[in-house]
Amino acid sequence: MQGVIVVQPIVYIDLGVGGMTCDDCVRKVTDTLESVPGVNRASVDLEGRSAVVEASPEVGPEALTDAVRAARPYNAFVRRVRTSRDG
Amino acid sequence: MADRFDLAILGSGSTAFAAAIKATDLGAHVAMVERRTLGGTCANRGCLPSKNLIEAARIVHDAAHPRYPGLTPARIDVDFPWLIAQKDDVVRDYRAKKYASVADALAGFELVEGDARFTDAHALTVGGRAIEADRFLIATGSRPAIPPIPGLDAIPYLTSDLLDADEAGRLTELPVSLTVLGGGYVAVELAQLFARLGSRVTVLARSGLLSGYEPALGETLGGVFRDEGIEVLTGARVERVAGAEGAVSVAVELVGAGRIVRSEHLLVATGRRPNTDDLVLDRAGVELDADGFVPVDVRLRTRVSHIWAAGDVIGRQHGSQMATPVGARQGRIVAENALADAGRVFDGTVIPRAIFTDPPIAVVGRTEAEVRASHQPAAAATTPLQYVPRAGAIHKTTGFVKLIASTIDERVLGVHMIGESAPEVIHEAAMAMRYRAALPDLVDLIHVYPTMAEALKIGAQAFSRDVTKLSCCAE
Ligand SMILES: Cc1cc2nc3c(=O)[nH]c(=O)nc-3n(C[C@H](O)[C@H](O)[C@H](O)COP(=O)(O)OP(=O)(O)OC[C@H]3O[C@@H](n4cnc5c(N)ncnc54)[C@H](O)[C@@H]3O)c2cc1C
Repeated sequence: MQGVIVVQPIVYIDLGVGGMTCDDCVRKVTDTLESVPGVNRASVDLEGRSAVVEASPEVGPEALTDAVRAARPYNAFVRRVRTSRDG
Repeated sequence: MADRFDLAILGSGSTAFAAAIKATDLGAHVAMVERRTLGGTCANRGCLPSKNLIEAARIVHDAAHPRYPGLTPARIDVDFPWLIAQKDDVVRDYRAKKYASVADALAGFELVEGDARFTDAHALTVGGRAIEADRFLIATGSRPAIPPIPGLDAIPYLTSDLLDADEAGRLTELPVSLTVLGGGYVAVELAQLFARLGSRVTVLARSGLLSGYEPALGETLGGVFRDEGIEVLTGARVERVAGAEGAVSVAVELVGAGRIVRSEHLLVATGRRPNTDDLVLDRAGVELDADGFVPVDVRLRTRVSHIWAAGDVIGRQHGSQMATPVGARQGRIVAENALADAGRVFDGTVIPRAIFTDPPIAVVGRTEAEVRASHQPAAAATTPLQYVPRAGAIHKTTGFVKLIASTIDERVLGVHMIGESAPEVIHEAAMAMRYRAALPDLVDLIHVYPTMAEALKIGAQAFSRDVTKLSCCAE
């Protein structure tokens, strides 16, 4: 059998994030998002009150918002789902 | 270039502000659109200016009618323009502190001045600027309803907008005489206000005063009005109006007779209608009901899933009332439902409400007629305030409290009070209803003696004993 390079398709999910007041919150929300199965990376922006999550397409956006909301007192909602970093 | 927001709020009243505060808290970028003055009806031309002036009028009245034998009546001169100027200062100060600076402090928030219209389900146009949003809240409130009376469009008349600090409809001279059309809460509050400040006032009400409330409330208030020299004509059907600036005449048909009522000014206070005519809501796919209100479900969502409505603009759906704290609660619910999928339902079962006449009126829950119509086994007891020690002590015995309770479990279903401090007392009744308290709970609570809140304790006892024979503290 020949070696195959599996190119994982990736989606970028833009979230609005509420309830963050300092870098500690940013860390908590980042960890929360990155612990959702299928998420590769989350970058959370305190100023912009937002996050961009790179994940495999099976990850439902609700799994992300549910996780953030469960991490009280934070909130997240989906702005959009993109298939490329700048699309 | 269009701007895109997570939530666009139409209106800037109490409903809109509660939604904006919660929505920004939840992380949203919010646009708020206002075409008149920031703060909406309550702050600019409703609750705040009316309550400010009503208290001033009470001071004038109490001085002239000191209630206590041994106190000599005194006359307080009214400098009306000055009184109006202090009211305007109070309004502007409140607007700055509670609206403008609150808005400035919100993150991700933009106030857009102008008239909002929908261009499609995801976009508004405001003075040529396109505002796109993923979600919308219609919180455009209401304005005075103008009845189709022949001649009305040809003469100058006032509405409750006379209370405004900045707009053209404001009033700065005390009317010598005033005819008030309407018998609802705005009509009675303003009628007594002007009468006490020195206007000769006639109230023309189609049915009784305060129809829809417990009938005895309006009857008691009507008696007070007559004693204060306010002429109240009930069962009045207005046929036509005529006149010019400073001299209007109203032709009314009364039961069995006709009459012309003449006065310097006419105040039309015949209810409110929703501000939905200019929104072009059909472009967004939202239909209005026959009276122009925006239909919503119990979660305050319209038929279009990303468009919500709250406050005066939804009228009385789902037990809602057109009142400031009700709109504010709904605004918050919309933010939570729209941005955090909270699934919150608006619950209108326990909403205390007050009318700031003197004596004031406050109600919570259902009227006896409403309870009877639901065929629920219930009893009602009315207790005149003369049996409340504080009322007697301070010579304020006019009024009563009426309680309605289930005869199955004695739970309180409604409380209706006219009398001193009723708007404060009603909160105990509301809390009782919220926690499903029964009559014995009201009786069992030790009340501060002597307070008007004892009216509830005594009113609850009236179901089972003769309250004319109670000693101190109603034990
Ligand atoms: C004389 C009077 C006394 C009152 N007293 C009391 C009281 O004592 N207690 C109480 O609880 N309630 C009282 N009310 C009722 C209270 O004022 C209202 O229930 C409350 O203001 C409703 O708030 P809202 O935010 O829903 O609407 P509003 O306060 O009416 O705000 C709606 C805003 O939307 C704006 N708007 C409308 N259409 C558009 C558009 N197309 N584009 C942009 N902006 C738009 C309007 O200009 C307005 O500023 C009183 C009302 C009146 C008239």
